[in-house]
Amino acid sequence: MDINFIEKQYADIVQVSGSVDALTASVLSDYLSLKINQDHTNLVLDLSEVEFMSSAGLRSVLAALKECRNKGGDLLIAGAQPGVEKVLKMSGFTSILKIFPDSENALASFSA
Amino acid sequence: MYQITRSAALRSLPEFRKYINLACSQRGCIAKQVIGDLQLAVDEACTNIITHGYNGMNPGSIILSLEFTDDWIEVTITDFGLAFEPSPAPAPNLEAGLEDRPTGGFGIFFIYQTMDQIDYTSNLYGNRLTFIKKWNPH
Repeated sequence: MDINFIEKQYADIVQVSGSVDALTASVLSDYLSLKINQDHTNLVLDLSEVEFMSSAGLRSVLAALKECRNKGGDLLIAGAQPGVEKVLKMSGFTSILKIFPDSENALASFSA
Repeated sequence: MYQITRSAALRSLPEFRKYINLACSQRGCIAKQVIGDLQLAVDEACTNIITHGYNGMNPGSIILSLEFTDDWIEVTITDFGLAFEPSPAPAPNLEAGLEDRPTGGFGIFFIYQTMDQIDYTSNLYGNRLTFIKKWNPH
């Protein structure tokens, strides 16, 4: 799993590629927590290059979402592939966070 | 029948997923969504085995096998750790507000959401978890 960070005006993009499973989820959790503690509290989690996510990945997303909102920010999902989107839907996460087709649309939501 | 054996370690998870993809690709005509469902269920089950089944024991192994018929795919996961039956526990609260949203319990929930039949046996020779997934849309 690889992670890229792109700073933008109203929010920042966290691009993840590979798989987020029990082996890699803690790396993502730690990274997101680090960025949030550095006051990057408006985040777009770009999952367009994530081919697989399990419940371990969901925990990472949920933990980061809570941290962002507790600090007055938000976390949006962008570009979830069908399998990842299915996991988010099955878990009911689509009722607590927004999913956008791509990062541009998610970023626009922050600046609106 | 397709079968691989790997160590009961988290690093084996991507190998199991790749193998499922390989087996289904060789079988042919299996929809991506079916493959994705199998990968998810196997990943969640193996994660539980690695985390709980071999907890406190010397790491053992997990055997993954797949058999195909014209209508379904039978996946069997065999391990030799502590018995850990994936009982259909109550579904996590999917309507809770953010602060009350559960962080755990989704693994077994996903298995029951994606597989059509689940069977578990445990005896002196090991633990055997079997999934049946229908795949032929006709």
